[in-house]
Amino acid sequence: MIGNSLTWLVFVPLVGTLLIVMIPREQVNVIRSIATGTSAAVLLFSLFIFAGFDRSTSDIQYYTVTEWFNIGFLQINFEIGLDGLSMPLILLTTLVTTLAIVASFSINDRVKEFYIWILILLSGMLGVFVALDMLLFFLFFELTLIPMFFLIGIWGGKWRAYASFKFLVYTGLGSAVMFMTFIAMFVKGAEAMNYQVLSFSLLTMADIYANPLNPDVLTGTVKGGLFLGLFIAFAIKLPVFPFHTWLPNAHVEAPTAASMILAGVLLKMGGYGLLRAGFGVLPDQAARFATLIALLGVINIIYGALLALVQTDLKSLVAYSSISHMGIVLLGMASFTTAGMQGAIFQLVSHGFISALLFFMVGAIYERTKTRTIAELGGLSKSIPILAGFMLAAAMASIGLPGLSGFVSELLAFIGIFGASEELIPAAATLGVIGAIGIIFTAGYLLWAMQRTTFGPMKEKYGELIDAKPMEYIPMIGLLGLSLAIGVYPHLLSDVINITVIDLVSRIGGG
Amino acid sequence: MTVFDTNWALLTPEIALGTLALLIFTIDFMTGIHGRKPFIGRLSVLSLIITGVLVVMTNRTSGSIADVFIIDPYAMIFKLIILSGVVAVILISMSYLEKHKDVYQGEYYSLMLFSALGGMLMVSSADLITLFIGLEIVSISSYCLAGFKKHHRHSSEAAIKYVILGGTASAFILYGMSFLYGLTGSTSLVEIGASMPQLFQDYTFMIYLSFFFMLGGFGFKIAMVPFHMWAPDVYEGAPTPVTAFLSVVSKLAGFGLVLRVLVTGFEGIYQEWAFIIATMAALTMITGNLIALPQRNVKRLMAYSGIAQAGYILVPIATIITNVGVNVLMFYSVAYLFMTIGAFAIILLVTEDTGSHDLNSFAGLFSRSPYMAVAMTVFLLSLAGMPLTAGFVGKANIFILAISGDMLWLAVVMIVTSVISFVYYFGIIKQMFMVEPRANDKTLSPSLGTKVVVTVAFTFTLVLGFLPGWLMDIFTAFDWMRLL
Repeated sequence: MIGNSLTWLVFVPLVGTLLIVMIPREQVNVIRSIATGTSAAVLLFSLFIFAGFDRSTSDIQYYTVTEWFNIGFLQINFEIGLDGLSMPLILLTTLVTTLAIVASFSINDRVKEFYIWILILLSGMLGVFVALDMLLFFLFFELTLIPMFFLIGIWGGKWRAYASFKFLVYTGLGSAVMFMTFIAMFVKGAEAMNYQVLSFSLLTMADIYANPLNPDVLTGTVKGGLFLGLFIAFAIKLPVFPFHTWLPNAHVEAPTAASMILAGVLLKMGGYGLLRAGFGVLPDQAARFATLIALLGVINIIYGALLALVQTDLKSLVAYSSISHMGIVLLGMASFTTAGMQGAIFQLVSHGFISALLFFMVGAIYERTKTRTIAELGGLSKSIPILAGFMLAAAMASIGLPGLSGFVSELLAFIGIFGASEELIPAAATLGVIGAIGIIFTAGYLLWAMQRTTFGPMKEKYGELIDAKPMEYIPMIGLLGLSLAIGVYPHLLSDVINITVIDLVSRIGGG
Repeated sequence: MTVFDTNWALLTPEIALGTLALLIFTIDFMTGIHGRKPFIGRLSVLSLIITGVLVVMTNRTSGSIADVFIIDPYAMIFKLIILSGVVAVILISMSYLEKHKDVYQGEYYSLMLFSALGGMLMVSSADLITLFIGLEIVSISSYCLAGFKKHHRHSSEAAIKYVILGGTASAFILYGMSFLYGLTGSTSLVEIGASMPQLFQDYTFMIYLSFFFMLGGFGFKIAMVPFHMWAPDVYEGAPTPVTAFLSVVSKLAGFGLVLRVLVTGFEGIYQEWAFIIATMAALTMITGNLIALPQRNVKRLMAYSGIAQAGYILVPIATIITNVGVNVLMFYSVAYLFMTIGAFAIILLVTEDTGSHDLNSFAGLFSRSPYMAVAMTVFLLSLAGMPLTAGFVGKANIFILAISGDMLWLAVVMIVTSVISFVYYFGIIKQMFMVEPRANDKTLSPSLGTKVVVTVAFTFTLVLGFLPGWLMDIFTAFDWMRLL
């Protein structure tokens, strides 16, 4: 277990945490350097793992399993590994976190604690993407909850207490539903194997549900119930209408770095969990509920976009746009085509970069103007041209301008839904068309927001603002560059996920 | 075998503790009633530790004194829990007693010892008479302890309320027991248990009556809804270390007793009462957690939290009476001991320092004492059932048991109320980390006893969260059902 590089990847952030704990709180620069160093090391490490990743197989790689403890008759293992689905999300996590750490150098209040929580959060997120034991998965999922509660609650805006508690209870309920479903999955699975196989491993679980010894146990109702349980659990995190209400509060109140991580990575845990546990273990049920998922996807796209249109606060506009963009993930997944599934994963990764960039830009502008109200901004392209330029570029990426990653994701997802089998989703094409209208809304609210903030006459009071600082170029160029790279050369990403996606789709029997 | 040729050596720990308690009482008496007496506290801790060692030594063998007093691993573990709980309470009491001159120190410590003795009798009894005696020793000591600040209005009110309601509960228990005795002519739980299925067929109504009366009485002792009303007032009024005692020792001893009575006496008609206990568990979880939400007084909050926790511990009793079920209950009891006593140690420290029991006593604790704040966070996370703490493993166990025992609805109630509990547990965490300390607050200086208790509890709460296997293995090795 110790020799396994994935184990190290998950625990190195905690080593950094321990180092920071030992540094006196006044040594702010040392603390920042350790935090940056740790996350950079983790980033390099993830790139190293990426370099050794075999793209020609859908098998789990870097696999390791160690016995941990038992609960009653249930053996819990430390079982981790990765495949084409987790690989890009691991890179996304390490990248976004490192850039968020760099972006939060402007935080001067309780610096030590801030970085302790960010590093614990990093460990938790990486754990979620590599865990293959259901309890381990749940542990890491919950582990991300506590740091985020503190990050919002201590360094957040005016309504931070409310937002952090809302976040805690909502996503806590999600985790609770997930845990219940996992246990029920285990109990039913064990029963279906006549108690010959007692495992909490997601991989074994997928095998059990594909070939039970005693299929009568796993009736349609049971499996459907389990799938819906998982769907609700992850829908809260993703977030899917009507479980989305925690997100705008959390985002608006969270400090910039936390918003970047929240939108960039945490939401992706929802999409990932749905694919890994929902589609991975119960593919036939996923197909059964495909129409519902696609419908919710379309609702998310349209509803999120409409709400974004009426926002007066720039940050909540970006927050609602996240809800809208997560709809595309659902739509892609529901289509059960290779293209659609690829689109969903592309969207997870691409939105990770773009939303992190957007939140960073909003944070940078807020730091200078002390306002996020769209009406009070204006003419920023004259006072801070570089920041305004990047902001515009981020908005373009979010709209899905060709050449940027958002375009590829949306294109693939829509190709998927238009190509979906009519047996699976009766009105696939109609849903696709309605969803596509959402894209127009997206262009609408983002362009309108840009027009009101960056263009127009410059406001007097913003004449003296300082443009981008050297440290700010790192996250800006890094995130935009990645979006551009994937947009121009999608093969970078598709190459990694391809086999896994084909495998996932073939399990459902789609094409 | 008559009572006279039985193996009285099995009673060694109880006899030793009784003797030591009387000795300490005498020493206290001879050194004058007033004044500081930390040495009495140290002597008490020493006696409890000696007793603990004797318990482990005696209980290696299983046996019984004429089926009245049973020695088995089940009793051993509950006795060790009780003794550890009392040691911890005494350790955190010492500095409290130094400050509160109106408390007679010597009596305080001897009452603690006597209550430990009562608790030990309770969990070992298999006879209605010894069981009741043990219960009353604990109860009467608790009534006195609750009113120990006799010039303090709230404390006196707590004691009066507790003694009146507690007395009523005892009467209910006795009344319930009298039916059992009347029907079987025996006070032995073993004999009652053996004839239970037949009795139930013949006298269904009487057995139900007896069961409900006893359940009401025991429910009072463990603060089960709807017999919980006393808890918030008594917890609030009692001196804080006594609150810790009530919440940990007296409650867990109560559970030890309830399980023994239900398993030994009523196992034969398990089907009849499982659903009743399950309903009670659900009500207790819901009421405790919901009413805890608006509390501003930490001690009241902990009272409702304790009620909620009692609900969780009732689930394994309701779900299934098997070896696994007892393991699960034992594990949660141990976890509960550490997380609750740790939390109370810090609550005592903080409320004594600020002189108020309001939640905002915790404001900015992190900047005043980072270690205490972090430890308290772990205790609260554990009580809330967050992963990597003892509380999580304990709850996960209970949860799995409930689902595999086909009580999905109970499991759902449990997990949903747990999430609700996040709000009030994290409310304290919020005070510690997210609220500025009040202006003139200085660094806290906990006493040695408090530090020891917090550190031990902190270590165990985490170790049982990360590596619960060793303790579960110990429990799994015992065949509880044969023993009980």
